[in-house]
Amino acid sequence: MTLLALGATASAQDAAPMDADRAAEQARSAGAQDAASRDQFRSIDQDVQALKKEVLNLNRDLFLLEEELLFPANSQVAFFISMDVGEYFDLDSVNIKIDGKEVANYLYTEREVDALVRGGVHRVHMANLKTGDHELVAIFVGHGPHQREYRRGATLNFDKTIGAKYVELEITDRVKPQQPEFIIKEWE
Amino acid sequence: MLPGRSILNRLSLLCLFAAPLVSAANSEREPIVVSEPQYGEVLYYFYQDDYFPAIVRLLAAQEQQQLIEHGEQAEVLLGGLFLSYGQHLEAAEIFERLLAGNADPDTRNRTWFFLAKIWYQRGYLEKSRSALANIEGDLPDNLQREALMLNAQILIDAGEYDAAIASLQNWKGRTEWASYAKFNVGVALVRSGRIDQAAELLNELGDMDPFNEELNALRDKANVALGYALLQDGQYYAAKAPLQRVRMEGPFSNKALLGVGWADAEMENYGRALVPWMELRGRDLLDSAVQESMLAIPYAMAKLDSISQAADHYLNAIEAFHEESNRLDRAIGRIESGEFFDAFVADYPLDSTGWYWELEKLPEGPEARYLFHVLASHEFQEGLKNYRDLNYLHRNLDEWQQNVDVYVYMLDTQQQAFEQRLPVVQDTLARTDVEGMVQHKLGLDATMDNIERSHDWLALATKSESDMWREVTEIADTPALGADIPEAAEVRDKTALIKGVLQWDLERDFNDRQWNVRRELQDVGEGLVQTQRSYRQIDEAVREETRRFAELGDRVYGLAPRVEGMKMRVEDSLSRQRAFLREIAIGELQAQKDRLDVYTIQARFALAAIYDISATAAEVPE
Repeated sequence: MTLLALGATASAQDAAPMDADRAAEQARSAGAQDAASRDQFRSIDQDVQALKKEVLNLNRDLFLLEEELLFPANSQVAFFISMDVGEYFDLDSVNIKIDGKEVANYLYTEREVDALVRGGVHRVHMANLKTGDHELVAIFVGHGPHQREYRRGATLNFDKTIGAKYVELEITDRVKPQQPEFIIKEWE
Repeated sequence: MLPGRSILNRLSLLCLFAAPLVSAANSEREPIVVSEPQYGEVLYYFYQDDYFPAIVRLLAAQEQQQLIEHGEQAEVLLGGLFLSYGQHLEAAEIFERLLAGNADPDTRNRTWFFLAKIWYQRGYLEKSRSALANIEGDLPDNLQREALMLNAQILIDAGEYDAAIASLQNWKGRTEWASYAKFNVGVALVRSGRIDQAAELLNELGDMDPFNEELNALRDKANVALGYALLQDGQYYAAKAPLQRVRMEGPFSNKALLGVGWADAEMENYGRALVPWMELRGRDLLDSAVQESMLAIPYAMAKLDSISQAADHYLNAIEAFHEESNRLDRAIGRIESGEFFDAFVADYPLDSTGWYWELEKLPEGPEARYLFHVLASHEFQEGLKNYRDLNYLHRNLDEWQQNVDVYVYMLDTQQQAFEQRLPVVQDTLARTDVEGMVQHKLGLDATMDNIERSHDWLALATKSESDMWREVTEIADTPALGADIPEAAEVRDKTALIKGVLQWDLERDFNDRQWNVRRELQDVGEGLVQTQRSYRQIDEAVREETRRFAELGDRVYGLAPRVEGMKMRVEDSLSRQRAFLREIAIGELQAQKDRLDVYTIQARFALAAIYDISATAAEVPE
């Protein structure tokens, strides 16, 4: 909370320290100016609010258009990274290969890892794949228990049917051996 | 992953009050159970304080009806995101709808509190007041104190001082908030001319034992406010005590020293007044108290008959004011040219960071030192946030504009490629007589039915067997074999034997062969079904692709002017917001310049009077 400025009293003093009437007049005038400035701000603010909402809606439409244009539903496959707890693994990067070809190599910032640990899910790659069988290989690089460097792979053979497909690469904790576990799941 | 109800409930609370609770959530590191990846994706951006992409993704997922499991939470999250992004009107609409129902009291109260806070900061005082009135029961301690302070502040702004004082009467706990609130009431009372009541409150603050630096500063501020209020009220002697309680090195010491000097000067004790005023010499000329002391010192000297010294001091003051005024002109020029705002955007490319962000330091530049006070005003701070947001929107639309151009090109290329391939596909489809194949297969089925019905074992013979059967039959049917001679009889026996063996073999293998043929016919049937399906799919794909191109074309071509139009509106709003901020900033600098001008005139007038007195004195001996 901002304090009321000493403006009224101080500025009255600056001009004529002993003139109380003038000070009161200045104080009243400062109050009126504040109100006018507030009204002006509100008017602009309401415009900005409305504009921001419209731009957000436009961005939604553009986002959907981009996705439909670049990744038509029939061939679309989205790959997501998620973390469950993440006590035993500090993620640095993820490398993804589809049918032997590297398609993504993502290096995570601390802020992004934190977002993952707290339940965020990162869409790491989008692809267009033909219907049929495909092989996904994901390599997770980071630090495991006791800050040891860790590099593990996980593989999934999946069948791409007609319609969008979501694949989730999940990092979970295996409590008993105190090791991370890397699981790949399919969502239709 | 299974949805976890309790975790989701906690999430919804956390989402509402993004920034203040994010740090707390950091330490707790509660995992959130997400059952739809699109919802998790929104959270991914939200947790990084990237509110804009988070909102866009959430709106897109809602539009595509991808948030079924998280439908309700998504709506609460959207409200929280809007609030965090400063979209308070949108946020309020959602919360008013959601919280009117069965939200738990804690969530409801917190929501109203944060709405009240943002509305107050944005100057929506009535909305802020009614939001506070919606709080039922107590908030958590830290928020309760802030809410009470906010309420007092709203009452002060409305001129309801007694109500403000009354609201602070029952303040519990040793906290800075109560002191701030009391100070604000005290200043408000001074403004309304109720000096005695103000003196009581401010004296209490000015005499307190502060337990931290923040309260030390507040104590100084209260003493300065009280001292000046008493000076203006003509209580010069009484004014000295609070002014002398101000720390010598604090940010308010200049004003206190000036005030103490004026109190002595008003009591005609000019020699004593010079002591604090001389202390101000050499301090930063930016401070109005230091500027005024440059006039006060020669004023006192003149009163003490040190005319020559007074003249020197007036000359120094005029020179110093001139230089300072020139510096102010340069700063005003930088703001008018827009350099200041460019530097601000360059220094704070924080993009979609939300409403909780506060500017603590202006970009380096000649104007920064003059705008210190402006930073404290809500209108300037909130105006800067709008300015930053509008800049982000402009960049965002700029990028989309380029992308839409690429999409137009991409769509055209895709359509061209499709149109080139289409005749080949259509030709192949036209040449493929799937119906004829089906009829042929049905004919084969009927033939097999006949063979099975008539147990026609010969029909399933291989070509060599058929050839052999025909050959043997031809031999057997040869007329010469009908002769009644031993050689003919021997051949007849042999052919009969061969035919018998052949028939035996064919009859023996009949079932296997029949099964094999039936299986092959079944495979053919399945192949034909698959072919028919593919045929239909291709046909549908051709129609779907044509429709898709038409639909995407409409959208892409429709969006391009929308982006362009929106960009122009953002530019318009940006210039309006910039003009508003420029007006505040230049108003502040101009006020400082006007004050210097007034001081300069006063100094010149006093100097002229001194010269006049000196000249008159010099003429006397003649």
